[in-house]
Amino acid sequence: MEQKQVKLEEKEIASLVERIKQGDREAFMRLVEGYQQKVFVVTYSLVRNREDALDLVQETFLRLYEKINSFRPGENFQGWLMQIARNLSIDFLRRQMVRKKESLDELDLDREVMAGAQSDPARFNPGQMLQKAVHLLPPRQKDVFILHHYEELKYEEIARRLKISVGTVKSLHFKAMQRLKEILAPQLGGNQ
Amino acid sequence: MKDCRQVKTELVAYLSQELTEGEGVEVEKHLQGCLACQRELEEWKKVFHLVSEVKEEAQTVANSIDWSAEASRIVDNTWKPIQKQPEKKRSWSFPGWRWQPLAAGLSLGLFLGAILTYLLITTGQVRFSSRQPDSNINLPQGFVEKVDLELARKQTIGYLETSEYLLSELLSNRKPEDFSSLLTSEKLREVLTEKKYLNDHLEDLRLRKAKNICDQIEMLFLELLQLSPQMSEIELEKIRQLVEEKQLILKINLVKKELQRGEV
Repeated sequence: MEQKQVKLEEKEIASLVERIKQGDREAFMRLVEGYQQKVFVVTYSLVRNREDALDLVQETFLRLYEKINSFRPGENFQGWLMQIARNLSIDFLRRQMVRKKESLDELDLDREVMAGAQSDPARFNPGQMLQKAVHLLPPRQKDVFILHHYEELKYEEIARRLKISVGTVKSLHFKAMQRLKEILAPQLGGNQ
Repeated sequence: MKDCRQVKTELVAYLSQELTEGEGVEVEKHLQGCLACQRELEEWKKVFHLVSEVKEEAQTVANSIDWSAEASRIVDNTWKPIQKQPEKKRSWSFPGWRWQPLAAGLSLGLFLGAILTYLLITTGQVRFSSRQPDSNINLPQGFVEKVDLELARKQTIGYLETSEYLLSELLSNRKPEDFSSLLTSEKLREVLTEKKYLNDHLEDLRLRKAKNICDQIEMLFLELLQLSPQMSEIELEKIRQLVEEKQLILKINLVKKELQRGEV
């Protein structure tokens, strides 16, 4: 299948945003074409369901348009868009867990992991467990984890986005990974 | 050279390729000679691998999607609410309608207030000046008060002089029938009328001392008026004693002098 990933320059993005504010449908189409796949990778990595992830892409662009007038030239457009996608995905997961009455407690998650790993390792889905574990990370650790692993940003860029130091990013990333390692250790055959 | 504790905290950044070249070399040197840290590194690699798998899975699913069709779907679904936007903007560009009830209430209140004020003025129930309608002179308030006070002082001095004269008459004659024509009932009534006229002026705090003595004289003259036709000698003597006890003449003189000096 032909994949059309449009590369957009910063100047062009500013121009597109202004045109969208004027009601230019084509400008909006170009912006969607330029960012929909990036948004999808983040939403899918978090929710791990194709249709849910696509709905979240749709919702992200809807929110983008609703807030387009509050976007100012010079702001990081991609960071802004991805933050909308990230927040929508996290909210979606939270609602989903509540709806399915799944555990939102870290201790319960640990028990679930242990039970799954010991009783039937073949049925144990590490990807699903990683998804839950990521969702249960503290907000700042979660942000750093998603920005680094799913949006592929370097520490310096994350520091700029979150307005914190590179040292803090390094520390938050280490803590996030340590927590995931602890949770996933039984399945991964580690010593934790 | 870094120890195990330091290296273990840097393994995540090392695998993320976020260490400087020098830091990376130091970690690698330590790993070459440390089996514990090598095992730790292997465990971290498994976690990183799992995370990468999820990301790769997302990328694989993304590659299976027809993004041209998806972009059209997104724009079609999103653009409908956009079409409604101008209506929203128009409603915000004319926010006045929200305040119409308040504006109408205020206008009505002002209108009724204006009519009521006009009616009150035209019927004479409200005046905006303390000046009497038939007066063409508009003097400063302080000046008018000063003139009033001066007038009251002169009238009080006159009243006190008359009273002093009458009281002297009272004290000098030993018998009621010896009273001169000055201390007649008619004369007493005149003095009492004068006092009534003075009463308004004597309410002024600055004339308080004069008022006190004037009131005492008034009481005495009222008593005399009641007794005068058939006044016995004993009664007359009592009144004389009262006048002397209260040192009325002395007090009259003192107050009169104060009034004359303008000390009140």
